Amino acid sequence: MVTTSPSDPMTELATPVESPAKASPSTKANNPNPIAEQDAMIEIDDVSFSYDMGKTNVLKNISFNIPAGKVTALIGPSGCGKSTLLRCLNRMNDLVDTSKVTTGQIRIMGQDINAHDVDPIELRKQVGMVFQKYNPFPKSIYENVAYGLRIQGIKNKARLDEAVEKSLQRAALWNEVKDRLNSSALGLSGGQQQRLCIARTIAVNPRIVLMDEPCSALDPIATARIEELIAELQEEFTIVIVTHNMQQATRVSDRTAFFYLGELIEYDDTTTIFGNPSVTQTEDYVSGRFG
Amino acid sequence: MPPEEPSQHILSSFDAELEQLRIDLIQMGNLVLRAVDGSVNGLLTRDIERCSDVIDDDELIDQKQKEIDSRGMSILLRYSPMASDFRAAVSALSVCRSLERVGDHAVNISKSSRKILKHGECPEIGLVKPLFEATRSQLVKALQAYTNADSLQALEIIEGDKKVDKLHKKLSKALPAMVDSGGSDVKGILHLLFISRFLERIGDLAASIGEDVVFISSAEDIRHA
Repeated sequence: MVTTSPSDPMTELATPVESPAKASPSTKANNPNPIAEQDAMIEIDDVSFSYDMGKTNVLKNISFNIPAGKVTALIGPSGCGKSTLLRCLNRMNDLVDTSKVTTGQIRIMGQDINAHDVDPIELRKQVGMVFQKYNPFPKSIYENVAYGLRIQGIKNKARLDEAVEKSLQRAALWNEVKDRLNSSALGLSGGQQQRLCIARTIAVNPRIVLMDEPCSALDPIATARIEELIAELQEEFTIVIVTHNMQQATRVSDRTAFFYLGELIEYDDTTTIFGNPSVTQTEDYVSGRFG
Repeated sequence: MPPEEPSQHILSSFDAELEQLRIDLIQMGNLVLRAVDGSVNGLLTRDIERCSDVIDDDELIDQKQKEIDSRGMSILLRYSPMASDFRAAVSALSVCRSLERVGDHAVNISKSSRKILKHGECPEIGLVKPLFEATRSQLVKALQAYTNADSLQALEIIEGDKKVDKLHKKLSKALPAMVDSGGSDVKGILHLLFISRFLERIGDLAASIGEDVVFISSAEDIRHA
């Protein structure tokens, strides 16, 4: 059972379970510069995943560690499994009835997130998500940010005010909306709505923020603001971002994982992946030779 | 699955631009080699006109440099190249800069050569021939290494630069000694010293091109190693 307390967001997800022996450690070829277990926020260990109860694996024996306090980019052509993997990290795929992690474990802070005693709702408080299309609730700016906190049972107005302001400041939106907090969130520009969604996500103080192509529906200026924000949030959160924009991955991420046909092809420092990748498939993809 | 020919980009214009950049550099290399040949052979054959041609033709090299810089920057801007494509585009600009400087040194050699030839006999002219041949060989290898993306040959050039340095050092000692011993043409010997220095610099630039070739193929920065 997840025991996360709203007042103590740093609490472990649950009592750590004993880690199984690594079934398929990453090979040197696709993970030449691995993240040590003690530096990992997320350990992905031989994970295979299926949307049809195990008939077809869309992720195949994926193993790599995502470091704490860094930005990790997942790249690859459409259908390679990067968004599926992202959704595995906060069990969003549970919403698909026939989906199933067929092999392996995903551990966050040492806890197997698919263990029977882990509550996915509690998990998602620790692992927030920002989507491709900004999706504020049809409520006021204030209520959007306060929503997660209210669900956590916080009713104290002063505490909510403080948390809303802090979250909007952290999302670099406060100065633009502080005089219209009670206006509809839907009246904001696209870039502002996306930053509001980020504010909503970080309001509940997650440990990890997942971003699924967060800038794909934004103009270049709004994109630059989100990228700047990612750099700032990195100090407080572990960020995993799916992007199709190679330049964006080079700008915002510390580590990059390249996926192809459900397999992890290569995982290394971002400068290596885009500067001198070890695997030909990676080179061909990042340089626009296939995809 | 990846395409059958992984060397092709999905954007065919990207392939065409990179290839044109490579061709432009090879053409510039040929212009520069011709300039170096003209400058020293003009001296050795006492052909002032040939030296003057090198000075006049430097404009072509300068124009080519601007053309290549423009194409390289356009590639960086329009295609945001990654990995080996990025190294190819960035290094092309570096090779281009080195070649342009080689062209400038050829002009300097031509100017010194004209002064020597106008001033008098200067029987010591032939002393620069071994250094010229060694330097020329280095430059040719650098151009071949770039054309064929041959990093092994590029490494040979870097090693070969020692021979050029040695010949230059030898001349730097021998020529002043001739002045001390009452050499016939002090001004001519002084310009031969300049030419020796220009050839040594051309050798350095050939080695620099070799370093760029290594970087293109392996992403390894071997400068100042």
